[in-house]
Amino acid sequence: MARSADFFSFLGLPRKLNLDMADLEQRYRALSRQFHPDYFYNAPAAERRASLEQSSYLNDAYRTLRDPIRRLEYLLTLEEGAAERGEGAPAKRDRGAGAPGVNKVPPALLEEVFALNEELDEVREMRAGGAPADQLKGRLERARLPIDAKRADHEAELQELSTRWDAALDRGAPDEERRAILQSLRERFLERNYIANLLAGIERELSL
Amino acid sequence: MAYSSKVIDHYENPRNVGSLPKDDVNVGTGLVGAPECGDVMKLQVKVNPDTGVIDDAKFKTFGCGSAIASSSLATEWLKGKTVDQALAIKNTEIVAELSLPPVKIHCSVLAEDAIKAAIADYKKKQAAANRAEQKQPQPTA
Repeated sequence: MARSADFFSFLGLPRKLNLDMADLEQRYRALSRQFHPDYFYNAPAAERRASLEQSSYLNDAYRTLRDPIRRLEYLLTLEEGAAERGEGAPAKRDRGAGAPGVNKVPPALLEEVFALNEELDEVREMRAGGAPADQLKGRLERARLPIDAKRADHEAELQELSTRWDAALDRGAPDEERRAILQSLRERFLERNYIANLLAGIERELSL
Repeated sequence: MAYSSKVIDHYENPRNVGSLPKDDVNVGTGLVGAPECGDVMKLQVKVNPDTGVIDDAKFKTFGCGSAIASSSLATEWLKGKTVDQALAIKNTEIVAELSLPPVKIHCSVLAEDAIKAAIADYKKKQAAANRAEQKQPQPTA
């Protein structure tokens, strides 16, 4: 298997974010048949090993591209690696979080997240102090409303950016424009972690 | 992977949790986040205007044990340091003190960023206060 391959090219797909699921599945099935280790059990050891490797790479590729968020995450790593090394496999930054200029979270979101976390802390204290459950529930439900709304906005923005990315690929937009879209996608992608954590925290409190 | 005993100690007995008055001109506030894991960290310093020494430091962190320990340790180190000494604190020193594993290095980076953000906020406030003082002297009683 060519070392330079990535999941998209392995499946013969462009690096797009909106994929036709039926088409993806069809490609996956066709390649599965092609590489299936059962067809190689009489083949020389090297070929058997290759078929196994390709099958497992194919499974990784399919699982990753099938899920919209994992697909986006993969695309971001792939493009980031290509940008950093000129070309090639995905790279991982080791000091990512702190490097200035990258992975910045809007200060307004941080403040909101901080305030909501404090609110959750208060709810925990009230619970520990024996406050009635429905009082806590009401508070949590209210705290949740703005986060739910934010998540909905967020998903819409991600969708819009994904469509723009695909369109930019289609018309061969200049690198600069593509990088700008990727940067926005990266920011939205990272903001998801905050929103997801907050919602999980609220859910956890609600389930107690 | 297990937390080091120092991380656990800071996690179970965090030093200097709380907040300082945000609008105090001698208080600097840094609010930073690690988007990779969704952590958020607030760190504040209170500087003695006469000596330039950090009298008090507080933090509040919502995140994993290493993030809490990193910021707790940072507030301990900050107290008694001058503003310039505070800016010299490096994340690698936090990593060494807490024996953080590679996957948790970003927590120490976050703490260093929080210190820098808090000091920057303090300096900004001081500069604004000085300007205001120069422009219009004391309001008449």
